[in-house]
Amino acid sequence: MILESILLVFVGMGIGIFAGLTPGIHVNTTIPIIMSLSFLLPSPYYLAVLVVSVAVTEMFIDYIPSIFLGAPEADTSLSVLPGHRLLLEGRGYEAIKLTILGGVGTLLVSLIFIAILANYFQLLYEVSRPFVQYLIMGVMLFMIVTEKKPKKMLFSILILLLTGIFGILVLNCSLVPAQEVLFPSLTGMFGVSTLLLSISERSSIPKQKEDSRILISKKEILKSLFLASIAGIAVGFLPAVGISEAGTMVQYLGGSGEARSFLITISGINVANDVFSLVSVFLLGNPRSGTSVAIQGILGELLFFDVVYLIGVIMLTAGIAAILTKYLGQIIPKYLEKANYKILTVSVIIFITSLVLLLTNPLGLLILFVSTSLGLLCGYLEIRRSHCMGILLIPSLLFFTNLNGTVLSILGI
Amino acid sequence: MLSLKTNSLILISLFCSVLGLILIYIAAVNLEPKQIKLKDITPELVGRSVLTTGEIVYRKSHEAGHLFLTISDADTKIAVPLFVGYLNDLRENDLTEDDFQEGTKISVCGLVDEYQGQLQVIPRRKDDIKILSD
Repeated sequence: MILESILLVFVGMGIGIFAGLTPGIHVNTTIPIIMSLSFLLPSPYYLAVLVVSVAVTEMFIDYIPSIFLGAPEADTSLSVLPGHRLLLEGRGYEAIKLTILGGVGTLLVSLIFIAILANYFQLLYEVSRPFVQYLIMGVMLFMIVTEKKPKKMLFSILILLLTGIFGILVLNCSLVPAQEVLFPSLTGMFGVSTLLLSISERSSIPKQKEDSRILISKKEILKSLFLASIAGIAVGFLPAVGISEAGTMVQYLGGSGEARSFLITISGINVANDVFSLVSVFLLGNPRSGTSVAIQGILGELLFFDVVYLIGVIMLTAGIAAILTKYLGQIIPKYLEKANYKILTVSVIIFITSLVLLLTNPLGLLILFVSTSLGLLCGYLEIRRSHCMGILLIPSLLFFTNLNGTVLSILGI
Repeated sequence: MLSLKTNSLILISLFCSVLGLILIYIAAVNLEPKQIKLKDITPELVGRSVLTTGEIVYRKSHEAGHLFLTISDADTKIAVPLFVGYLNDLRENDLTEDDFQEGTKISVCGLVDEYQGQLQVIPRRKDDIKILSD
């Protein structure tokens, strides 16, 4: 079984690399395809290994199109802005290394946290839940006041409101399949708008520096890993709080706003959330991610040693995926530097638009259009693009204040 | 100082955003939930809005104030969670937890979701759930 498992890890990594390098493909899109191949495998454990290895590999590789092409999927959307900024400074390779550091580091730190806190998650959930709405309100207030100038504060309120209304509409109405709704919603705001704003400013990607330095202090690294582990685990047990909301909260309340520390944090939250989601199937019987839902569907109730086995698969895959991501992060920019930036950017936008149409329907294109307009508006108003996270923060706030039903009734939707 | 060109771009982006939001709102308001029998609710419908009917065959109150119902037709069972905030909204329609007893036939409109491997329909507006008979 060990040899077969290792072989399947490599098969899963192959699929994960392909899906991860394809812009806009979220792991939740890949997993149902993998599940449909279950008849090829003799044991459900093999299918579970395949699913986990695909998911973990995608988690690392996803940052390559996100940072180098500005073409993210939902969970990596917040990495576009700091990632693209470093790319334009010639430090795209460093940006990739920061996401690897965040992923691998948080994997280890979050496992320690999970082992220590395993018996207290239910208590943590009950203690923290009544305060989540205040946390969200605090984050939004902080987002507004840190713009400093009154005019920009007003602009940020406008963006929070517009994106909040947008979020209420798209997240509560089945305009497009629920599992795909975040793709056009976030990719437009953070991906397509970034590409459109930069297309007029440059004709090529600057030459990338290949030095091995990471320009961030050890203290900042440790702080980012710690915050990512806590936030990733919190996403696992708090309803209506996703990876992007947690990323925004940490960015503002945890002081992880600097590009480098934020890349470590957002990558770490992704990994910590996936590890915790898997463990929570065992601890709480409550899967909180696409991967853990699939694992529960395959294996049913998880036993302790099932979890140990799957964590082993995660660690093996993460170790190899980190090396592969580092390698790809080194060679891909060499090809991109030679490409015509405008043609490359237009091609990426056409690809994203086609993918939205393929995965959703014509209303998905309307969602992409609105989200891109909102992202551009933010850019032209010269305020931080993270205000667009109103799309998730305001619906979450309504959920935690029990106002969602009232607002939907008022809107008549 | 914003340049005229930037101002024009701001206005165009704002116009596109607001117009797009209005179009999405019109689409959302006019989106008819799919009328469907319980047996036809499958995992492929997760995230879609449906309207269905069934008889309450199981009810369980949660200490946090939620009410978890299971409705059934001849063969199929689907969960209908009524969260505490939603139950408060229902009071405006003179419906309380006590109105949802086993044997009561109800119609539910809501989003199909999957929780711990079981399909559920989650009503969100106070008019989404109606009692058809006791």
